[in-house]
Amino acid sequence: MPLMQALSGALFTAEQVRELDRRAIVERGIPGYELMTRAGHATLDALRALWPASRSITVLCGPGNNGGDGYVVARIARAQGLRARVVSPIEPTQLRGDAARAHADFVAAGGRVEPWTREALETDVIVDALYGTGLTRAPTGLAAEMLAAANASGRPIVAVDLPSGLHADTGAVPDIAARAALTVSFIGRKIGCFVGEGPEYVGRLVLEDLAVPTDLPAGLAPVARLIDEQDVVAALPRRRRSAHKGEYGHVLVVGGGPGMPGAARLAGEAALRAGAGLVTVAVHPDNTGVVAARPELMCVAARGDADVASALERATVLAVGPGLGRSDWARALLEAALASGRPAVVDADALNLIAEAPRRYERWVLTPHPGEAARLLGVPTADVQRDRLAAVRELQSRYGGTVVLKGAGSLVRSPRESTWLCDRGNPGMATGGMGDVLTGAIAGIVAQCGDLALAARAGVFVHAQAGDLAAGRGERGLLAGDLLDHLHACVNP
Amino acid sequence: MTRVIARDAAATRALGARIAEAIVQSGLREPLLMGLSGELGAGKTTLVGGLLAALGHAGPARSPTYALVESYRLGDRDLHHCDLYRLRDPEELNDLGLRDLMGPGSVVLVEWPERARDRLRAPDLVLQLAYGDSSRGESGRSVALHATSAPGRAILRRLAIESA
Repeated sequence: MPLMQALSGALFTAEQVRELDRRAIVERGIPGYELMTRAGHATLDALRALWPASRSITVLCGPGNNGGDGYVVARIARAQGLRARVVSPIEPTQLRGDAARAHADFVAAGGRVEPWTREALETDVIVDALYGTGLTRAPTGLAAEMLAAANASGRPIVAVDLPSGLHADTGAVPDIAARAALTVSFIGRKIGCFVGEGPEYVGRLVLEDLAVPTDLPAGLAPVARLIDEQDVVAALPRRRRSAHKGEYGHVLVVGGGPGMPGAARLAGEAALRAGAGLVTVAVHPDNTGVVAARPELMCVAARGDADVASALERATVLAVGPGLGRSDWARALLEAALASGRPAVVDADALNLIAEAPRRYERWVLTPHPGEAARLLGVPTADVQRDRLAAVRELQSRYGGTVVLKGAGSLVRSPRESTWLCDRGNPGMATGGMGDVLTGAIAGIVAQCGDLALAARAGVFVHAQAGDLAAGRGERGLLAGDLLDHLHACVNP
Repeated sequence: MTRVIARDAAATRALGARIAEAIVQSGLREPLLMGLSGELGAGKTTLVGGLLAALGHAGPARSPTYALVESYRLGDRDLHHCDLYRLRDPEELNDLGLRDLMGPGSVVLVEWPERARDRLRAPDLVLQLAYGDSSRGESGRSVALHATSAPGRAILRRLAIESA
């Protein structure tokens, strides 16, 4: 059924979505104007669902097909008894093809394009149909002025397909873009809505498949997919009533160098809350007291690598790096951990040490934040952030295993699979210790399901979800430790 | 948007029950805010009744028209049914503490959400109930479901899987 495509979580580039449009029109024989009409209906339906009391709209109609969608919205809105005004940065005589037809039908139904004034924005809802995906450079002139005025108006903006000024592939906003409260996207989700500045600009995102055939994307590999609850269900099925702790693995956290006792304990607690059967935390002897204060954790005082040998033997999965530091002590522990052949989740200073002496390993999950990713790739952090998808692909191909690139819209990349994106989480999570909780959560899930790639996805998801639940009272002031109780709920889907 | 035709009150009730099952099976932990719109008599209360019953509430749904909110504890979920029809001023919502009702795993159903203006965040799922379009040969009620967030989408996805 068509709905499944709309809900499948596939993310596409602008070029891929143009290919989907082409297939719908050329191969499946759905006329372009028919698609435009469906897009207009879908936009107005979603607008009226979220703002049912609205009585007037103002549509900003651009020069291309996005503007055409806008003329359809205005025409149907009038027919439904709304007051619909249209302003445009161009003379409608310049419109071509389906957009020209949409304008002609709007005029034939009694509509007219008004000259642009700020007063035109005194309306209940503003519809941005200026450019959609049709623009690769920053809006200029009258269009830029309209966007600035719309953003400043304080009225909700509904973006048709994509907020104008937002890059559909990178989520970059070179200059100005519509700050939408709702974006109604057609046929396929654009990756730019989920990366870079995209989430700041799209607001609520509704995908409408315009009833195109479900097999339209056949053979077109999405550039990424959304992680969802089903990944958690797959990684963490309901437990058998006869279960015992030995079935749920043994996580060994290796970290906690001198002066950094908290990170390893947070990772250990997160592994417990994610459902690991047993968790041992190996730290510098100075730090055993902090770990032991959580009685469910077992503790190893590691003066050197020899002290962790038997713990490494017993472990099913390792979490290496939280609070590890970069001393010779840290180096020795990291080498011993990787030499054990155990699957490992590798974070923080362990990543910095690996960046100094790069190597490949197939049984690890690397969880760099953008700064660590930059060190692993030998590029500035800004380069990583400019194209996070490329960065996570490159990290995986150089270092092997599964790579999680943290940050807004965390990405997960595994061998032979597409890239996955997490659209949960919030800015309150940009605080110390959050990464340690993620490392522990992923390790705890690996301990139960054994699949590194699936555990990375599920771990990223429950971590973000727990962050959203913990931020219920507000994002500012959120602590990493606040996530732990919520993790408990999130790993029991 | 997904559109469903409910032929009669029993079908509207059944749709409410299917939504309840989708909520339970989705694995969703975030609070779910559902907006219900549609004119008086369109079947909002019937749908809520079906949803409540499927979550384990015995007996009829209490009408929140005067109290504005009726709360239920059903299994491990809190369900709050709000009717803002008689809300005189969006400011009154502050007294209602709607934000505090949205804890983990909670479901908040709001009738007439538009009366809250910007005092209420956008619902995750919007249900628009209307009389069926007789020109299309539809009897009964038409229900349009719009998911506007990841949690809303999770519910719609479960509904789609069940009906596929």
